[in-house]
Amino acid sequence: MLAYVITRTVRWGSGLLLVLVTTYAMMFYGAGDPVKRMFDELSQGGAVFDKSVQDAMRKELGLDKPFHEQFINYLVKLSQGNLGISIRERRPVINMVRVRLPISVQIGLMATGLAALIGIPLGVLAALKHNRWTDTTIVGSAVFINAVPVFVTGPLLLVFFVLVLDIMDVPFGWKGPFDKQIILPLILMTMAPLPALVRQTRAGLLEVMGEDYIRTARAKGLTERMVVMRHMLRPVLIPVITVLGFIMIGLVNGALFVETIFNIPGFGQLTYQGLTQVDYPVIMAVVLIGTVIVMVGNLLVDLAYPLLDPRITAGK
Amino acid sequence: MTGAGEVAQDTIASQIGLGDLSQPARVRSLWRDAMRRLLKNRLAVAGLAVVLLFLFAAAFGPYITPYDFLAQNVKEALQPASARHLMGTDPLGRDIFSRILYGARTAFLVGFTATAISLTIGILLGSLAGFMGGRVDSFIMWLTDITMSIPGILLAMVVSTALKRPIAAWFERMYMQTRHPFYLNTLWLDFVLVFGALAFISWPGYCRLIRGQVLSLQKLLYVEAARMVGGRTSHIILRHLIPNAIGPVVVAVTAGIGGAILLESSLSFLGVGVQPPNASWGSMLNNSLSLWRTYPHLMVYPAVTIGVIQISFTFLGDGLNDALNPRQTR
Repeated sequence: MLAYVITRTVRWGSGLLLVLVTTYAMMFYGAGDPVKRMFDELSQGGAVFDKSVQDAMRKELGLDKPFHEQFINYLVKLSQGNLGISIRERRPVINMVRVRLPISVQIGLMATGLAALIGIPLGVLAALKHNRWTDTTIVGSAVFINAVPVFVTGPLLLVFFVLVLDIMDVPFGWKGPFDKQIILPLILMTMAPLPALVRQTRAGLLEVMGEDYIRTARAKGLTERMVVMRHMLRPVLIPVITVLGFIMIGLVNGALFVETIFNIPGFGQLTYQGLTQVDYPVIMAVVLIGTVIVMVGNLLVDLAYPLLDPRITAGK
Repeated sequence: MTGAGEVAQDTIASQIGLGDLSQPARVRSLWRDAMRRLLKNRLAVAGLAVVLLFLFAAAFGPYITPYDFLAQNVKEALQPASARHLMGTDPLGRDIFSRILYGARTAFLVGFTATAISLTIGILLGSLAGFMGGRVDSFIMWLTDITMSIPGILLAMVVSTALKRPIAAWFERMYMQTRHPFYLNTLWLDFVLVFGALAFISWPGYCRLIRGQVLSLQKLLYVEAARMVGGRTSHIILRHLIPNAIGPVVVAVTAGIGGAILLESSLSFLGVGVQPPNASWGSMLNNSLSLWRTYPHLMVYPAVTIGVIQISFTFLGDGLNDALNPRQTR
């Protein structure tokens, strides 16, 4: 187990390093000088700058050095927990992340919880009513929700709720997790992991339903409720957690769209802002955090699996 | 065609390996079987029909609509749907129906090209990993693992941000050298960007699939048997390996084209993909975000279009999967 964790850490740690080098190189050689880009934009507005101002700014941010020096500097700072200073906003990126990330995490956690609360019972219901209209409806809607991307559902729901039904104002911005404005973003974020949860639960339950021990449980006179909750659902919920890694990717990707549509100042918007402004330190930070979130999600799945199911050992 | 008698005959015939007894002259092929199974699946047929309809629109769109997708007519700006403009007009007076049709062209162009590029990378690296094994294999698998753990849209955005300036510079240089007007056309620039970004994020899936196929097929008994009775390598590859490997690949490619179309509209929606004046469903949707309250038609048509095409691709992909990989279904 320990050996497994160590090899895994080395494998992914080196991978993360590769991701960081590649991203930095893509920015350095591809996207070009962020200071020049910023001043070009400013001078389009009619402002005139002395070249020495740009040089001073480059020097201050360490952008005048060659690639390898810049990157090593970045790594040293990173190991001290310093994500660098935003070129556009001139403040530590870590502070920006501290403000933005919790907002997305709150929505993400609520959405995952809600999806589990809705998805697992729906999966059970579909399996119990196998091949009847309830099953068909649930599976059919899951396919629909899975196929239609969030940036299509979002606008359509907006038109429907605000214009057709006229029951809400346009949700805009962030007023905390308990404000009613969160309803629509939350619905959209919940829709992403929902189909996978339903499908996984349903498939697992269908597989287990014919087993001998289920018949035994019924034969000894347990109520149907007990049979489902105790005997069917328990082994089924183990594979359900494998979709966690998938959910993580979905949440990071989904935040980008939902926060763009509803103008929520979260992690997704920070990503968007960093990339459109070619703000190196911000881009590096969001790539780092996004990748770590997904990697940790996958690692948790792999570690939790053998704990929940003794037949499986980690690393296999 | 589908009677109980035929079904029974099918089973017996296939069990003793004689093929369809009712048509002794004609051997049943993988594709005929798959086609029959696909056509039985009503949802898959509907999906196929819609995809073909959009392909037709992509190919012949300019001949269907009287308006050019770039033609602006400010006098007719922001009209709702009417007989003159089937889906209304946008803030610059461009006909939305024409732009949706041209958007189909964008979508399929990106879908096919990006899939072709990433499939090529996937076949090269995947077969390399499968055949070589050992260190090469674990290195390539490490690369796919790492690429897949970066959230896809984020990676695509980074790649397209990085590629934008070099590709623009390259276009300019090529124009200086060749004076060919093609390199002045900035519409193509966006496409090259999106191809690059999509290929970068979608190759690992194909790579893993091909590797798995290579590994599993090498061990199969009938390959060994064919080799034993003296079959030539070319014969084994053409008649035994490819027909057996191709099912999952066809399914993955179909899903992949749908996925690439989705990613194109996602990127365009986020403002890093295909941008106006190019017609893309994603960027049309994005442009409507500030105007939809007064002009909902700007938002509804592109949104419904993306939704319909994605659902069609899902049905088609599922149907193909059932038709080509019958053993996989429970």
